[in-house]
Amino acid sequence: MNLRTLTRRSLRYHFRSQLGVLAGVTLAAAVLIGALAVGDSVKGSLRERALERLAGARFALSTPDRFHPADLADRLAAPRSSTLLALAGMAARQDGTARANRVTVLGVDPARFGDGRLASLKEDEVWLNSSLAQQLQATVGDFVILRLNKPSALSRDAVITPRDDLSVALRLRLAGVLADRQGGGLSLLANQAPSLNAFVSRSLLGKAVGLEGLANLILVPPDGERPGGGLELLRDQLAQVSDLADFELNLRTNSQSTELTTRRIFLESAVVRAALALAPSTAARRQSEATPILTYLVNSLTHGDQLTPYSLVTAAGAPYTPADLADDEIVVNQWLAADLGVKPGDSVALTYYRVDAGTQLQEFTNRFRVHSIVPLAGLHADRTLMPEFPGLSKAESTRDWDAGFDLVHPIRDQDEAYWKQHRGTPKAFITLAAGQKLWANRFGELTAIRWFGGNPSSPRPAPGVAGESTSPLSVPELRDTITARIRAHLDPADVGLVWRPVREEALRAAESGTGQEFGGLMLGFSFFLITAALLLTAMLFSFALEQRATEIGILLALGWPPRRVHNLLLREGLALAVLGSVLGSVLGICYAQGVLWGLTTIWRDAIAGAGLEFHLTLTTLGTGLALSIAVAAGTMFLALRQQARRPARELLNEGANESALSVPEGNRGRPRLAALGASVLASGLVVGAGLTPEINPQMFFGAGAALLLAGLLWVRVWLRPAVVPAVRRRASQPSYLGLALRALARRPSRSLGTVALLASAAFLIVAVAANKLDATRHAEQRGSGTGGFALWGESTLPVIQDLNTAKGQEFYGLNPDDLKGVSFVQFRVRDGDDASCLNLNRAQRPRLLGVKPEQLADRGAFTFTRFAAGVAVTNGWQALNQPGSDDGAIPAIGDAASIQWALKSSVGGTLDSVDERGRPFKIRLVGAVANSILQGNLLIAERDFVRLFPSESGYRGFLIEVAAQGAGQPASPPNPAAHVVGAEAVSATLSRALQDVGLELTPTVRRLDQFNAVQNTYLNTFQLLGGLGLLLGSAGLGVVVLRNVHERRGELGLMLALGFERGALKRLVLLEHGALLLLGLLVGGVAALVAVLPALGSPGAEFPWRSLTLTLGLVLANGLVWTLWATTRSLRGRLVDSLRDL
Amino acid sequence: MSAPLLEFRDVHKSYPGPEPVPVLKGASLALARGESVAIVGPSGSGKSTILNLLGTLDLPDRGTITFDGRDLTQLTAQELAALRNRQIGFIFQSHHLLPQCSVLENILLPTLADANHSAPTAEPRARQLLDRVGLSHRLGHLPGKLSGGERQRVAVVRALINRPALLLADEPTGALDRASALNLGQLLVELNREEGVTLVVVTHSGELAQRMARTVELRDGKLEG
Repeated sequence: MNLRTLTRRSLRYHFRSQLGVLAGVTLAAAVLIGALAVGDSVKGSLRERALERLAGARFALSTPDRFHPADLADRLAAPRSSTLLALAGMAARQDGTARANRVTVLGVDPARFGDGRLASLKEDEVWLNSSLAQQLQATVGDFVILRLNKPSALSRDAVITPRDDLSVALRLRLAGVLADRQGGGLSLLANQAPSLNAFVSRSLLGKAVGLEGLANLILVPPDGERPGGGLELLRDQLAQVSDLADFELNLRTNSQSTELTTRRIFLESAVVRAALALAPSTAARRQSEATPILTYLVNSLTHGDQLTPYSLVTAAGAPYTPADLADDEIVVNQWLAADLGVKPGDSVALTYYRVDAGTQLQEFTNRFRVHSIVPLAGLHADRTLMPEFPGLSKAESTRDWDAGFDLVHPIRDQDEAYWKQHRGTPKAFITLAAGQKLWANRFGELTAIRWFGGNPSSPRPAPGVAGESTSPLSVPELRDTITARIRAHLDPADVGLVWRPVREEALRAAESGTGQEFGGLMLGFSFFLITAALLLTAMLFSFALEQRATEIGILLALGWPPRRVHNLLLREGLALAVLGSVLGSVLGICYAQGVLWGLTTIWRDAIAGAGLEFHLTLTTLGTGLALSIAVAAGTMFLALRQQARRPARELLNEGANESALSVPEGNRGRPRLAALGASVLASGLVVGAGLTPEINPQMFFGAGAALLLAGLLWVRVWLRPAVVPAVRRRASQPSYLGLALRALARRPSRSLGTVALLASAAFLIVAVAANKLDATRHAEQRGSGTGGFALWGESTLPVIQDLNTAKGQEFYGLNPDDLKGVSFVQFRVRDGDDASCLNLNRAQRPRLLGVKPEQLADRGAFTFTRFAAGVAVTNGWQALNQPGSDDGAIPAIGDAASIQWALKSSVGGTLDSVDERGRPFKIRLVGAVANSILQGNLLIAERDFVRLFPSESGYRGFLIEVAAQGAGQPASPPNPAAHVVGAEAVSATLSRALQDVGLELTPTVRRLDQFNAVQNTYLNTFQLLGGLGLLLGSAGLGVVVLRNVHERRGELGLMLALGFERGALKRLVLLEHGALLLLGLLVGGVAALVAVLPALGSPGAEFPWRSLTLTLGLVLANGLVWTLWATTRSLRGRLVDSLRDL
Repeated sequence: MSAPLLEFRDVHKSYPGPEPVPVLKGASLALARGESVAIVGPSGSGKSTILNLLGTLDLPDRGTITFDGRDLTQLTAQELAALRNRQIGFIFQSHHLLPQCSVLENILLPTLADANHSAPTAEPRARQLLDRVGLSHRLGHLPGKLSGGERQRVAVVRALINRPALLLADEPTGALDRASALNLGQLLVELNREEGVTLVVVTHSGELAQRMARTVELRDGKLEG
């Protein structure tokens, strides 16, 4: 006989009475371990998805707006790398029955992509990834139409760029479907939504869009030999092997000079700096050797009433202009001088469009004085001075021009003749400084740099550009020298050639996003369920101990030290905790599977449709198991402590009876004082909240919580026998009610505990329910989450035009009459990670929207929740226009939820990002808007946007306002009816007209609903699990009944002996415990209603009276059923026998 | 005369409450080693209180209780528990056997009280005592299989397992039929003699009290006789 044997014997003997304890522990463990397993599953699935979408890549060189020769990867000696040409596009079935926007068309080397599945891909074929195939409902053999964005050499926002050659279509046969895990889901964005990918041959794609032999994405798999240093190595290799073509630069030599140009037309400042960089010792001398040139198309050159239309003008120094040419002087060629009839000293007006004004065509005029007239010969007859403006350079005739704007000045015969004979030969020359003042722009500041040398016909001695010798260089030497100079001084990163550790980024996004908190979130949701299960465990364990009071008393009387008795019982408890937790872990796995099923079906909205598979690590299982055992054992330890405090004689004398006969008196004044204090606090907070002009949810919640506390304290006061009214008034005339209340007062802490549990659970359930959001409420109001806009639009290809103008509308074949009362806020879009609650990954580089702040400010759109310190509250959207801070951070505004959850930041915080050239910059969050359709994005001022992302042309994001029919005043609040009905017609019209740019319109209410669905689903989950906890809590009430009645069996037996009927006793017990149940629900419910008063009145809030009444009703019914069961069970048998114990 | 095993001196004890109810009002008693004493008195006179004080389950409000020369009021809870375990044996009106344990295990229960104290001789002694009380054939049985008299005899053996100096019996025959009660009374007297244990019996039964060497009456909170 030893302690272990005794423990085993006790467990076996009391097994039936301990079954409830075991069940409680099992349930708590199952919920706890299940919640952790759900967390593991979400984490594991996100990690798997993150790695899947990289198609095995560890590093990527992604330059969406720039194109480098496809052999760059070969030069980098990255043997297993893939080189791709990735372009935005749309896909549709040939029969037009299904289409998909925002598709990425990936040109691949079939034999070198992924695991070789695409090796058989032919030029007239396409493979789709499973998501796209599913959306198109396409099967192998079907024909698919791909419409692609045709990248322009010059941004579409430049004035001189074709407007109607944006896309190209390909008709291809579907040859196969590539699963996500086979590389089909390729995407560098940490987004939840599945990517839509079409795989075609790179050579076919290059040919189709005029980018033959070029690529913009290199994927490099992990290098087993150099696992740690891959990134540095790739950077070094890139710096070593990159050539001018990789920087989109071109070095060409003609009879007079060697010229550096770019297919992007304008040379970027980093390139210019590198090309002009010189060794310090010879800097001054060599600075003069390179000739920077800026040539631009002017709309007109006028003198008096003479006008020469559409001419090229070059801004440059010597040898094109004389050294004494002032910035306000101009050199004209003989042709122009004759055409305008000017002579030196005359004034010439030069009119031009601002280079990067896009379709807005802002025209400016500057006056110059004619300095001299040069013959149309030699240097001044150089047609190559004109950059290869798309739409102009290849034109045989002026009639073939596609300048990107309407030619308002008539082209005369002499103009046509000049073009035919001299093409883009500049007709006038100004200083470089003057030219840059007029035409330097966000794309660059020069169109060419020329070096005169390496040729005997050079007008100047050939300089020793890089060598220390001053002897003339040969052409090849000169070219080599210039190339070497640029390579030496231009960091590939300066032009956006930046390696990204995509695997690391993806894992970081997956491992730091909201998905990681899912386990914790589920634990939080299951909190009440776990608490209720543990409370039940504690109650049952205490109950079991009470039933063994005599046994404990004997041990104490036999000289067992209390600690040893305690240890013996704790061993039993521990054994139950271990057994229950092990059983619970099995059940927990099933529970997790069930929750996962729920999350992928009925609660799909909570995780935005992410695919989830079951994952459970041994660490999590071990942690869960240990935690369950600890929590269960801790609970039993506490229950035991209460029991073990009782002295042996009390236990031996069936102490329960003895103690039940003594009612704790305590200090009567203190609870009353505390209750009064809490009541005053609650009232004060309610009044204070009511008097505050702005609704203060925190204050109301505080008032509700204080009211809950006050309610419970009053219950505590009321449960004292001297206070219970029925007892006081009718002390001499006992009634059922009086007896019931007196019985409640016998164990005031037990009664109060029951009321507190029910009240707290009811409080939380009601409070949570009130926070549900309804997107349709007040959706037409400016301050709502829709901003008063009816439609949200996203296009695959940029819309260059301003859709608010008749011209913009006509460009897309829209009838302005159909769009009366419709206005647009257009956004520039820099694609990035979706920073919304629909993405369980952490947004590393959030999607940026460039907006004209005044367009939203004028409308007073959306409601701001917070501004950063230093931002005037009245500023609203104008905060985006505030000058940047000292650190150069760009001000940004986002949705409060996005900032808090997806970006894990706060208003006033800063985020790191990179511009299109890979240069880091900071974003400062200056404000947040509440619960809006802007979730997922950060908004910055358009002026900042174009500076950071000059190549992002046009607008791809739209907020569309549909005002009351016929109102035609966008600034007026829209009519709610028109908001819905008118929006449908507008949506249909716009979708049809802008089909070619892949415009996808979503009613703002639906978009907001999708976001709300996440919160609402979380709340539903919480409510459901909380409700289960409450149900379990009410089952605990049954245990309380059992304990109470068990303790009073003698008393009840006596009543029976005195002639009470058994039914009367049952009613008595039901009455007293039903009162506890009602009291709990009442106190919690009323306090919660006060707490959620602001939510009840706020836009978008929906109070679910019906479901809530049902839940609380169910809890009440369940509690009554348990009470009835426990009462019936307790009153079974010969109660009179218990009189012997009295 | 040798020093008493246990001595009550002017012991006072009241039940707590708004108006404390005095039970013992200066009770005094000395118990010699090997003596057998019956404490009698009307219901509510404080007999059980006396027994609780004798058994160190309770402490007096006033006065001293010495056991083997040690003042019980000065001992810690652990020391009292150890004293109870080694020196005192209890027999209750109800047998209070653990239903989950066999007869032998119930008897050995006191030996488990002290984790550091091993009692290799306990089991042979238990068997010997069981043999003595005529229950050696029942040692593997659970209490539920025994008669009331048998259970009470097991309780007696359990009380003696640690060779206590003092055996306290609270209405030991109260729950037994007459025959069993007579047998148990006889057994207690014999064991008192055989084991040399001081026996204190609190009882209503005059028959049992007469078997004791001395009878003390509790009256008005004082011990007389």
